Amino acid sequence: MYWALCLGLCILISPAGSADDYNNKVKPILSQHCFTCHGPDSKHREGELRLDVAPYDDDMASDRIKELFGSDHASSVIFERITAQDDDDRMPPSDKPALTEKEIGIIADWLDDGAPYSKHWAFIAPTKPAMPTLKQDDWPRTTLDRLVLATLESNDISPAPLATPETRLRRVYLDLIGILPTIEQVSSFVANPSEEAYTQVVDKLLASEHFGERWGRHWLDNARYADSNGYSIDGSRQIWPYRDWVINALNEDMPFDQFITEQLAGDLLPNATQDQRVATGFHRNTMINQEGGIDKEEFRIESIVDRVNTTGAVFLGLTMECAKCHDHKYDPLYQSEYYKLFAFYNNDDEIDIELPSPNQKARLKRIQKEIDALVPKRNAYKAEAIKEPLTAWVATVTEETLAKWNLKEKDAIATERSTWTDEQERLIQKRFLAADEKYQELENEIRSIEKKKPRLPKTMVLKKRPEARVTQLFEQGDFTRKAEVVTPGTPAVLHPYKGPENGSRLDLAHWLSSPENPLTARVMVNRYWQYLFGRGIVETENDFGYQGSLPTHPEVLDYLAAQFLDTGWSIKKIIREIVLSSTYQQSSHRRPELDVIDPKNYLLARQNRVRLDAEIIRDVSLSASDQLDTTIGGPGVYPPQPDGVLKLGQSSRAWNPDKGSDRHRRGMYTFFWRATPYPSLMVFDAPNAMVTCTRRSRSNTPLQALTLLNDQAFIEQAQALAERISSAPMATDEDKLHYAFMLCLGRAPEASEVLVLSNLLKKSSGDQTSAWFPVARTLLNLDEFITRE
Amino acid sequence: MSDAPYNKALHDVTRRHFFKQCGVGLGSVALNSMLGNESAADSNLRNMGIFNGQGQKPAKALNVIFMFMAGGPSQLELFDYKPVLQKYNNQPIPQSYIEGKRFAFMDSFGNDGPPKLLGTVRDFKQYGDSGAWVSECLPHTAKIVDDISFLKTVATDVPNHAPAKIFMNTGSGQFGRPSMGSWINYGIGSESQELPGFVVLQSGPRGPRGGQPLWGSGFLPASHQGVPFRSQGDPILNLSTPENINQDEQRNVIDAVNQLNRNRLDVTGDGEIAARISSYEMAYRMQSSAPELMDISKESQATLDLYGVKEGEPSYAMNCLSARRMIERGVRFVQLYHTNWDHHGGNSENLSDKLDEVCHDVDQASAALVMDLKQRGLLENTLVIWGGEFGRTPMGEVRDTIGRNHHIDSSTMWMAGGGVKAGYTHGETDELGFSPVDKPVHVHDLHATILHLLGIDHEKLTYRFQGRDFRLTDVHGHVIEDLLV
Repeated sequence: MYWALCLGLCILISPAGSADDYNNKVKPILSQHCFTCHGPDSKHREGELRLDVAPYDDDMASDRIKELFGSDHASSVIFERITAQDDDDRMPPSDKPALTEKEIGIIADWLDDGAPYSKHWAFIAPTKPAMPTLKQDDWPRTTLDRLVLATLESNDISPAPLATPETRLRRVYLDLIGILPTIEQVSSFVANPSEEAYTQVVDKLLASEHFGERWGRHWLDNARYADSNGYSIDGSRQIWPYRDWVINALNEDMPFDQFITEQLAGDLLPNATQDQRVATGFHRNTMINQEGGIDKEEFRIESIVDRVNTTGAVFLGLTMECAKCHDHKYDPLYQSEYYKLFAFYNNDDEIDIELPSPNQKARLKRIQKEIDALVPKRNAYKAEAIKEPLTAWVATVTEETLAKWNLKEKDAIATERSTWTDEQERLIQKRFLAADEKYQELENEIRSIEKKKPRLPKTMVLKKRPEARVTQLFEQGDFTRKAEVVTPGTPAVLHPYKGPENGSRLDLAHWLSSPENPLTARVMVNRYWQYLFGRGIVETENDFGYQGSLPTHPEVLDYLAAQFLDTGWSIKKIIREIVLSSTYQQSSHRRPELDVIDPKNYLLARQNRVRLDAEIIRDVSLSASDQLDTTIGGPGVYPPQPDGVLKLGQSSRAWNPDKGSDRHRRGMYTFFWRATPYPSLMVFDAPNAMVTCTRRSRSNTPLQALTLLNDQAFIEQAQALAERISSAPMATDEDKLHYAFMLCLGRAPEASEVLVLSNLLKKSSGDQTSAWFPVARTLLNLDEFITRE
Repeated sequence: MSDAPYNKALHDVTRRHFFKQCGVGLGSVALNSMLGNESAADSNLRNMGIFNGQGQKPAKALNVIFMFMAGGPSQLELFDYKPVLQKYNNQPIPQSYIEGKRFAFMDSFGNDGPPKLLGTVRDFKQYGDSGAWVSECLPHTAKIVDDISFLKTVATDVPNHAPAKIFMNTGSGQFGRPSMGSWINYGIGSESQELPGFVVLQSGPRGPRGGQPLWGSGFLPASHQGVPFRSQGDPILNLSTPENINQDEQRNVIDAVNQLNRNRLDVTGDGEIAARISSYEMAYRMQSSAPELMDISKESQATLDLYGVKEGEPSYAMNCLSARRMIERGVRFVQLYHTNWDHHGGNSENLSDKLDEVCHDVDQASAALVMDLKQRGLLENTLVIWGGEFGRTPMGEVRDTIGRNHHIDSSTMWMAGGGVKAGYTHGETDELGFSPVDKPVHVHDLHATILHLLGIDHEKLTYRFQGRDFRLTDVHGHVIEDLLV
């Protein structure tokens, strides 16, 4: 089904003349069916035949090339083998899925064309595509629209109409800041839904400090952010300053190359600031095993493995992890290259740093000064007291006092002071000073000042070791089987690494953010697209390799990637360009006439309806009920959750719900225990933070219904919403219904919708607020409420 | 509205439900897939022999109950009788045994010289027609030896708890892979329309090390993850309607939600809304079916006595009884965790009274579950599995008392029903109980066998993630043919 669908599409979406048959049609078949045994993995290669590179690149003897590929399919041994009748002769082997007739036909055509190979599309640096000529020239608002429309027109499909102003406003609020527009904002836009007004809204939202929260949370998925260590003990950790850093960086529109560099190697920049060191928390989000009896080296290596895999998935869209144990089965990535990347990460210590604010720093200095003034006085007193007075005191120690002493102390005091060992002297001095009132007075004075020291926030960072470690390849990925020594480096199939042989994380960051890199810009703009359309242009957003899906709109992808570089890696400018496009602003309603040709909407003949992310479902509830505390940043918070969840892991913990406004903070600040995560986040598909997550799944289950219907947090929000409705200054119930509907859905209700809700209202009793409670619950449970249309 | 678009829309999304629309189990997933409803990047179900006729296997088991003894029960105190080990008690183990081996706590075998062997003080006898050895610790299990099969040589790869538990559940020591129960529900769906297809129950002094990832769905859709049922309070989180809301009001709200959702479905045509509507209906049904499931008041006194259940008291025994009730209601995979089997010899987990305690907690009910399933005719179609994440060393470990360290080379598990032989012992360890000498079994083989018994070819149940077709058995695993009926 997969390739049938994909092949259908490839034909569908490749504008005439631009099709690269090898990349689009042939390689997917070879990769799926042949590369496991005839691909890059030399250890498991069969019959010394390699099909993933052109035979002349593999130094294959020319008569063998001739025999295998022939001059056309009829004279090719490859064709003979894939069409052999005998099970023993036919390829792929009979225990593997067979080639379809269509697939065989594509191979035959390719052989007839002389079996041309070309470089994998994703490994060629993107360039801006030529602009197509269009029929419906008034539709495009932006360049990318022209490219999307060209594909639609080549399939004789017209784009969907513009979504209603209400939908477009709610959509862009949810996508850019994850908070609902107010009724006033809706009304004002609906009154004047001009292009100019829309652009103003977009610019306002991009400038909002909530933008950094909404897009920061996307990034935290990639960063596998959590507030605990994972594995069995799952102790808590403090790394929220890194989360704050992400939010700030996105709000400032930090250029993406700098964004990478500071997170991978902020500490290695010249005159690194505190913020730049905090940024290295990106790779400290790995789990830590605190279980007894572990081999610490094993889990140090596990962390680095996770860092390499994350680097591959997040920045390169490559499945590097396959090459941990053996050469990659599909992509030209070799095991030695895996450990070359590993080597960049192998020279660090994992430390915590304290983060005093300037005020705190000044305060600490003042306090230390006070202490420093008192210490000499105490020390002088002590120096005198432990001479004669101590010897005298020994004689006065009563039996009653002695009873409370331990064995060592009793032994000491039973002998002459002149015979005491250093340890005995120390023990008795301690006892003596504890009993000396004057000394205690001086000591307490110091202690009480010490207590005034502020408790400083900490965060987890990377720090380069003075002595580099030697990195060795691990046979089969087993850390106990060390093989050849490797030095830092990058996969040869990509742009060259120009750093030094003992390269650091900084050199890796420069390589990743190099304009020559064919992947990073594409992978990132693809992910932004995914967040704005519910699916990337390359659907397999973490696999741009041979097994990944092909881009549905290669020109759009390349245009945006090139544009990303042209804007100086400005994330906000790319997002702005996308949300201002006609493509983005289309209606998301299903188009039954396209059910057969494009049921999944790969062609973008409309927008997609996308269920909100777990955290945003909480945020919109809080924002509709006017409960939301919009404070940005800081440590994790504890909204209510059902009892007993924290008993499901090894360590049974308490969860004391916040009582103040922290109870109503945005979902992204909910304290995240990896072994016992907050249930209403998990039920709506929040990532588990064990490994990087570059795309969330979106399930639709009865447990979600139970959560929205019955969970205490959502019940509290429904109560607050009911109160908001009942106390609203409208004369009639119908006006109030209208108001409530606008609050939650940002549009006026249809008559049929008013009818359903007013019937529900009629069935309720009690005071005003409790009468509105069922209506409030209903609105917060609607599919439309938790969906961005 | 007419039913047609509604059904079409519903059909499109139905796969991602953990409640299948049709209770046909086998083949329901396949059907959808053949109709082309898979997302391109979603799965690779087409490779599954289940529905394309290649490698199709008749299922012996329809359900699985996995009794997970968390911590690693000592096979040498329970099943693996080693008189030679007793004879050489307190003698140093020959270096050849431990050369190049990894143990969790290398430093606590004792300070003087190589680790010393520890013979058990437990009394072993042979039971039943099969003559299986069982120690005094498990008198009830001793009574069912002719109904079960012992696997004496189960090996794993990793010697620490959390990674080993993850390994036993997901076939990988690294976090983030789907668990067995998720794979199975993904592969063949659930028979229940009112309960989740994968349920997790817990007992013992604490939760299992690792927590949620042990029953997580990894890269499979979240709808396949295990749902913990609790023995006190709501069995499922947020199951009951809050106290201040009466049932009529709850029904009215759900009706209004569904009506408005239907309006929106008409306007947008989005099948997700149809799925949301059925989710709300099923949630409402669950509000009565889940409490009914957990309500054991209609069970006979004889049944309660068989398990050793005391009403109103959460226990492993209660969980065993619930497990039977769940599979009767079509739950595909039930996993029971009982903690504190980590008998290093510390005061809370020693090989004397503390081992007695956990054995007492689980022995009667584990045996009762097999007997009860058998007498109800359910054992034939239910695969019962008993075991932990790894075994324990033949060498003693010096803590407050002498205990045993984690051991990955061999442990004993037992299985019953669902197409597994009765009264059979598979494999044998050496005289000291260190390594297999006959028929070694790896966790991957165990997984391959479990899937096989459910009618699934473990090499064909795959999911495309990051460009690779992942399997529960990774690239390993052989079905243990000798174990099959």
